[in-house]
Amino acid sequence: MKPFEYRAVHSVEEAVSVLAEYGSDARILAGGTDLLIELRKQNVKTPKVVIDISFIKELRGIESPNGTVMLQSLTTHSEIVNSKVVQQYASLLTGAASVIGSPQIRNKGTVGGNIMNAATCADTVPPLIALGAKITLKSKTNSRQIDLSDLFIKPYQTKAKPEEILTEIQFPKLSSNVKSSFIKLGRRNALSISRLSVAAILTQDKNGKITDARIVPGAALPVWRRVTEAEILLIGKKPSKELFTAAGQKVSEVMISHTGRRWSTEYKEPVIATLVRRALEMCVGDLKDLKDLKDLKD
Amino acid sequence: MKHKIIGKGERRVDALGKVTGTAKYAEDFNVMHQLYGKVLRAKHPHAKILKIDISKAQKLEGVEAVLTANDIPGDKVFGVVVKNQAILAQDKVRYLGDGVALVAAKTKEIAEQAVSLIEVEYETLPIISDSEEAFKPESIKIHGDDNQFVHHHVTKGDIEKGFNESDFIIEKKFKTQFIEHSAIEPEAVLAEPAEHGGVIVTGSVQNLFSTRRSVAGALKLDLNKVQIIQSTLGGSFGGKDEVMTAMCCRAALLCMKTGKPVKMVNTREESMIESYKRHPYVLYYKWGCKKNGSITAMEIKCIADGGAYASMSPFVTWRSVVQATGPYYCENVKTDVYAVYTNNNYTGAMRGFGSPQVNFAIESMMDELAEKVGKDPFEIRLQNGFETGAVTATGQKLNHRVSLKEVLTKSAEAADFLNKWNQYRTSKQSPKRKGIGLACSYRGVSLGAEGTDAAGTIVSVQTDGSVIVSSGITDMGQGAQTQMSQIAAEVLGITMDRIQFLNTNTSRVPDSGPTVASRGTIMGGAAAKKGAEIVRAFLIKTASEMTGLDVMSLDLKDNYLIDTNNGERLASFNEVAAECFNKGRPMYGFGWHKSPQTSWDEHHGHGEAYFTFVYGANIAEVEVDTETGKVDVLNFVSCHDVGKAINRNSVLGQFYGGVAMGLGYGLMEEFNFEDSIPKQLNFDEYLIPTSMDVPNIIPIIVENEDAAGPYGAKSIGEPSNELAAPAIINAIYNATGKRIYEIPATLERVLLGHKLTRKGERGSVKKEEVLADSCKIRPEGR
Repeated sequence: MKPFEYRAVHSVEEAVSVLAEYGSDARILAGGTDLLIELRKQNVKTPKVVIDISFIKELRGIESPNGTVMLQSLTTHSEIVNSKVVQQYASLLTGAASVIGSPQIRNKGTVGGNIMNAATCADTVPPLIALGAKITLKSKTNSRQIDLSDLFIKPYQTKAKPEEILTEIQFPKLSSNVKSSFIKLGRRNALSISRLSVAAILTQDKNGKITDARIVPGAALPVWRRVTEAEILLIGKKPSKELFTAAGQKVSEVMISHTGRRWSTEYKEPVIATLVRRALEMCVGDLKDLKDLKDLKD
Repeated sequence: MKHKIIGKGERRVDALGKVTGTAKYAEDFNVMHQLYGKVLRAKHPHAKILKIDISKAQKLEGVEAVLTANDIPGDKVFGVVVKNQAILAQDKVRYLGDGVALVAAKTKEIAEQAVSLIEVEYETLPIISDSEEAFKPESIKIHGDDNQFVHHHVTKGDIEKGFNESDFIIEKKFKTQFIEHSAIEPEAVLAEPAEHGGVIVTGSVQNLFSTRRSVAGALKLDLNKVQIIQSTLGGSFGGKDEVMTAMCCRAALLCMKTGKPVKMVNTREESMIESYKRHPYVLYYKWGCKKNGSITAMEIKCIADGGAYASMSPFVTWRSVVQATGPYYCENVKTDVYAVYTNNNYTGAMRGFGSPQVNFAIESMMDELAEKVGKDPFEIRLQNGFETGAVTATGQKLNHRVSLKEVLTKSAEAADFLNKWNQYRTSKQSPKRKGIGLACSYRGVSLGAEGTDAAGTIVSVQTDGSVIVSSGITDMGQGAQTQMSQIAAEVLGITMDRIQFLNTNTSRVPDSGPTVASRGTIMGGAAAKKGAEIVRAFLIKTASEMTGLDVMSLDLKDNYLIDTNNGERLASFNEVAAECFNKGRPMYGFGWHKSPQTSWDEHHGHGEAYFTFVYGANIAEVEVDTETGKVDVLNFVSCHDVGKAINRNSVLGQFYGGVAMGLGYGLMEEFNFEDSIPKQLNFDEYLIPTSMDVPNIIPIIVENEDAAGPYGAKSIGEPSNELAAPAIINAIYNATGKRIYEIPATLERVLLGHKLTRKGERGSVKKEEVLADSCKIRPEGR
C-alpha cells in the first residue's frame, strides 16, 4: 500500500467541503470493505487523500417517513438485516444484505459504499432498483435527488460528480400484499461474490392475476436495470411455471442483447433464466427448497 | 494394556499460548536496530537477465544493503533432491516468483521504495505454461537440455497379456489443478548475527535441517554456526519448506552483509506469487477388466507440472507411482509418472504429496468399472481390495493388518451407503438431486524408500520433577508436540501439566529429517518413548534404593511412585527426581528411532516402498443443483485406521480439517495462471471453503495397532486429506449421471461439463461486454 493523506470528517458539511478541495484526487472511505482491498493492489492508482466519512453520525440509521423507507448511506448491511422496517416493507433487501460477505464485512460494509463502488455484483443494488429507490447526492454547493437506476454509467463508474457524496437512499414501502424475493448464486456459501443474482417483486390482484412485476438481475448486465421486456410478459397473467420460464428466457435474451456472446455466456444464458424463474416462483410461494441458496422469501 | 494418557483427548500443549496470545509467531520477533528486508522479484515468467542496476536503490537514504546473486559467497542454488533453485536469479528468471535482488533498509517502506528503484534489463524468452507442451522436443528448455526431469516407473507382470485377457477396456483422462496451501500465516523470519560468528534465524520454517544446510551452504559456514529456530507456526500443510529456505538464505545474507538483524515478512500477495503449489497432474488411466469386475491390467501415465524448479517433485511423483493403482489387486501393471519444468510456480510438498491426484483418478475409474459390470461402488471395492498378505504393484507383500475392508464396511454402514446410493441413482426428477459417493485408499507411512528415516527426541527431567521435552520433529499446528508430550508423560507416569515442550532449535536437537509424510507421531513419538524410558530406568533405580523395594514392584503413576503390590503411594515423582539428581544420575534421556528397513529398485520399479501402510474410506453425500451447477456437501463420513489414536481430539481435528481441505480441492480451489502469470493473489479471489461449506462430518477412528509405531500409532495428517475430492466427485455422478474428469467441480464444470476460459477472447468482444463480468478488477477512478 502506497502512502496517502488521510482525513477523518465528522459531518456532511465537512465532508463536502474537503471533497470540494480535492475532487477526483480523493477517495471516500465508508466501511472500507472495497476500498482497503483495492488500495492493496499494486496496479491501482493511489488517491492523494482518503476521506473517512465513517464518523458522520447523521449518515447512519433507517427511518420510515410518509410511506417510504429511508436509509442513510452509512447504514451497514448488518443494520439493514436487523431492521424491522426493512424486513416488513422491503424483505428482498433484507435477503440481499444478509448474504453479502461475512458477518465482519456486513458489520463494516455500508449500503452507500455498495452502491457507489458500482461493481456489477453489488448485492443491494438489484433490490433497491426493483424497489424504485431514489438517492440524494450532496456537494458543497448543491443537493440533488436522482433515480438509483440513473446513477450508473458502466461497471465501477457512476454519474456522481467527484465533489458529491451519497447521503440518503429512499424508496416506497411495499404493501403487505406485494411479494418479493432475492436469489444469489455464488461459488461458495459465504464470503462469496455473486456469480449471478436476481431481485423480483410481484403484485397480484384478488383473482391471482399479476398486476405489477419488477425483475432486476445482478452481475448480468453492464448497467443494472429492470428488465421490462420480461416484466410485461407477466402482466395480466396468472402465475405458472411456463409463464415464469418464459420471463426467465426473456431476461436471458435481453442480457445477451446487451453483452453479446462472450466467454461466460454459455453458463450465464441458461442460469440467469433459471434464477429469474425461481425468484418469481419464490414470490408466489411455489418454491420453498432453496435454503442452500440463502434466499429469503416473504 | 490400559493407558493413563495415551488415547485420551488431552489439551494441546500449545493451546493456552495460542488462545491467550503469548505464543510467538515469526512476525512477533523484533529486536533493537533490526532492518527490513524486501525482495525484487521477476518481471517476466521467463527471461534472460541482461543487466541489474542497483545504484539508485543504494543511494536512497536509509538503505543499508542491496544484493544480487553475485554477492552470495557460497552456493547460489539449493535443493534437497536436485540442487537448482536460485536463492537469487543469476542469468535468467524462470517464474514470476524468482528473486532478482535484495534490499535491507531501516524501514519496510524504504525497503519497498528501494526495490522499486532497482533497474533490471530483461530479454524475454518464450513461456511454457503447459506440462504437455513442455515435453515437446521443439519447446524451449527451462533448465539444461530437457524439460522432463523425473520419470518413475513401476512394472508388474505382463501388461500386453493383461489386456489380452480382459473382456473390455476402460480408458480415461483426468486432470487436476494447482492449489495453494493457504496457511493463515504467511512466511516470516528474523535473522540475527550470532555472538561468536554465524547467524541465528528464527522463523516459520517447517523443515529446519534442510534449511540450515542451505543457509550454511550459501554463507559458506559450518552447520554449527547456523542456528535455525522454529517460531510457533500458523500452519504449513507442507508449504513452508523451500519457500522458507529461500527466505532464510536471503535474510541471513542481508544480516551477514550489514552485521545487523534483518526481518523479512511476506505479504499474502508476495506469498502467493512466490510460494510453491500442489502439482497439477494430467492422468491417463487404462484398465483391462473382466465381466465379473476384476482387473487384469492397469496402464497408467501421469504428467506432473513441476513448475520452475525441481523442489520435491522427484519424491511427490514417486509416491504417486507407488500408489497409482490404489489398494486393488491387479497382476499386470505398467505405470509411468513424469515431472516436467514449466514457467509456472514450482510445485512441491503439500498435504497428500502425490496421492490426491492419483486417488481422484483411481476412485473415479473404480466407480466406472462398477457401473460397467452392474455392481455397486461398495461391492466392487470389496471384490478388488487388498487383504492382509496382498502383494502390491511394486511387489511388496503387506504383512501388517490390512484393514481396507474394515474401513469400507464401517463407513458404508455409518452412511447407509447402499440404500442411499440405490435411491439417489434412480430419482432424477427434481432439479436438485442428491447423490452419495465412496472413495478409499491405502497410503505408505512416513518417508519410505525416499531416504534415511530416523528421528530424535530429548526428555529432560528437572530437579523439581517438571519435564522438558524437545525434538527434531517440528510442530506446525498439527499437534506433534502434544503427541510427544503425551507419550513422555505416559512413560514417566506424570500428568501433562508437568511437561514443557520447547520449539525446535537446530543447534540443540539432532537432525531428525523433515517433518513431512505424516511421520511426526510415528517417528518423533517413538523417539520420545525411548527417551522417556531411559530416564524412567534411572528414576526407578533410585526409587528402589529409596524404598528398599525391587524395581519390579515399583511404578510411576499420576505423579507418584507406587508400590505395585498394594497400589500405595510411596513418594511423589518430584521427590524421586530430586533424589535421582542427588545420587548423581542422569535425568536426561535421548531417544533415537530409526524406521524399519525399506528398499527400492528404481531400475525395475519395484521394492518394499514403505514399512507399513494406512487405510481409509470417505463417503460424501451431496446435493447438486442441476440448473446452476452448484454442489453442496450435506453429510460426510470419514473413516481411517490410525493404528492408535495417541490424542483423540488431535485425530478428530485431522479428520475434520482433512475433509474441509479435500472439499476445497474437489469443489472450488484453483490457482489459475494466464501465460504463467498468477491470476489471483489473495483470498478475495482464491476461494477456499468457509465453515458454511463444510458438511456435518461423522468421524470413525479405527485402531489396529501396528508394531512399527509407538503404542501402535501410525499416521493421519495426510490420509485424512487425500480422499474427500474423489468421494465428492463420485457423489456428483450418483446424483447427475455425469462424471467430472477435471477438478475442481465448479459451477461451470458441473453444469456444462467443461471450464469456461476468458483466454483469447478478450480482444474480440466489446468493451461494455468485458466489464459486465468485471467484478474482480476495478479500473481506476471513482
